[in-house]
Amino acid sequence: MALFPLSSNFEGDFVLQLVPVDDEITMDEVAAACAEHSVNRRVRPQPDKVMRVRRHTTGEMFPRDMKVKDAGLMPTETVDVIFADE
Amino acid sequence: MPLLDRSEYYDLIRTTNWTPSYVSEDELYPEEMSGSRGIPMEKWESFDEPYKVAYGEYVATQREKDSGAYSVKAALERANFVDTADPGWISILKAHYGAISVPEYAAMTGEARMARFSKAPGNRNMAVFGMMDETRHGQIQLYFAHEHTRRSRQWDWAHKAMHANEWGALAARHFFDDMMMTRDAIAVSLMLTFAFETGFTNMQFLGLAADAAEAGDHTFANLISSVQTDEARHAQQGGPNLKILIENGRKDEAQKMIDVAFWRSWKLFSVLTGPMMDYYTPLESREQSFKEFMQEWIIGQFERQITDLGLDTPWYWDEFIRALDETHHGMHLGVWYWRPTVWWNPAAGVTPEDRDWLEEKYPGWNDTWGNLWDVIIENLVEGRPELTGPATLPMICNMSNIPIVGTPSNGWNVKDYPLVHNGRLYHFGSEPDRWVFEQDPERYQGHMNFIDRFLAGWIQPMDLMGGLQYMGLAPGEIGDDAHNYEWVSRYTPDVAGTAAG
Repeated sequence: MALFPLSSNFEGDFVLQLVPVDDEITMDEVAAACAEHSVNRRVRPQPDKVMRVRRHTTGEMFPRDMKVKDAGLMPTETVDVIFADE
Repeated sequence: MPLLDRSEYYDLIRTTNWTPSYVSEDELYPEEMSGSRGIPMEKWESFDEPYKVAYGEYVATQREKDSGAYSVKAALERANFVDTADPGWISILKAHYGAISVPEYAAMTGEARMARFSKAPGNRNMAVFGMMDETRHGQIQLYFAHEHTRRSRQWDWAHKAMHANEWGALAARHFFDDMMMTRDAIAVSLMLTFAFETGFTNMQFLGLAADAAEAGDHTFANLISSVQTDEARHAQQGGPNLKILIENGRKDEAQKMIDVAFWRSWKLFSVLTGPMMDYYTPLESREQSFKEFMQEWIIGQFERQITDLGLDTPWYWDEFIRALDETHHGMHLGVWYWRPTVWWNPAAGVTPEDRDWLEEKYPGWNDTWGNLWDVIIENLVEGRPELTGPATLPMICNMSNIPIVGTPSNGWNVKDYPLVHNGRLYHFGSEPDRWVFEQDPERYQGHMNFIDRFLAGWIQPMDLMGGLQYMGLAPGEIGDDAHNYEWVSRYTPDVAGTAAG
């Protein structure tokens, strides 16, 4: 269990933001942590969608239950958080 | 009074490339300071400054300019313009003085480098006047801001900003250190005087002077016009050096210096001047949009100058023109959202009338930036102000040291330009920012931007209060909405609902 800084690129927002997370949490939890800093602040929620996390540089979608520590991310690497159907 | 006309003696007195006998030429002009790039001494003697001045006439002119600016200030002090002006305009003054006054002193050092180490005698001569110019600019802008310190501690940031670790000050220092404090004489002439001063200070000083006059701030209009007349002269040191570099087969090096300096200048102006012109200046006082000023001063004039001199437009020119519709809107929204972290009070500038103007000047504004402002406005109207301020930090570009932004909402294109160098992950706000780093990684790799400092534990406690303390922002200095949110009343719940669609 360790603090792991990520750069959040949240769909529809205008800026990358620093979001420190625990490396034991899942990608769904990462999406929720990133949403805290964008949704209802500048971005409207999309309750009929799920929020998915993908690698910014390749667009590779991470499995929803994958843990941060297993994703091969570098500290401060940028992840996209996007609204998806599933 | 001189007995001879200047034109009769100027060439003779400028001929100061004497042959040293006690030291070698390399000792007199060390390459790391002089930057002659292997071009022999006699070639630099062809430097011919287009704007010639001798000391006597310089002093007379400067005295007259100072008298004019100080007289206007004295005459208008009793009119208490600052107490009655729109708070958005006051924010422009505070931001300007903090970002510009002390770097003027630093620019004196850049001028001094040319005055001592340039191998071009004409360059050395002009730079002596440039040194005195920059000293005057530092003094006069600090002095003009100082009378207002009794009104608010934010005015004191005219002097304090460049001595603090506030993020905008870090960005400005990184830029100015790169352009004028840590370069050789020839590089300073190209990067500071040609790219930055010819290209961009016109915008800050003439564009803003036009807005100032419209806003009724004749003191500021007069002051910055007075400064700009000096800039117009000493900015012309780069052109003749460029010519010498190109004539002697150094075009590629010259081009690179211009490309680096131009992009870095643009990014600084996108956060400083863009919000001032398009959001802080009261609507009725706006002469032109930031983009229109940029099109006139930069695309119209600077582009012609560089091509006339034999250079190419920078490789990223298309991206630069595209970004004129984007970057400063992001910088403005970021500065307003993270408003406690600046030494002025950002004006939101998004009343319904402001938004009509923005839509006219930047078609599509409401469908992108406007959608984010709608959420902010709703939060303010419906009593959720805590959602309109920072809860974390924006990611900061490792070159420009300002937030990494892009177009939001229906035009969403926000992108990171990462680079792993020696095992460290760097983030950049654009391809040209990353390119600048790649031209000279050793020069830039050690710098810690605000996020790097935060993650390294330099900022304690690791929260907003710790951040403000690290930045030197005390209560009474931290920024808040310029109009104390009065503009929100323009959005009744019904109006906000309509705007939200």
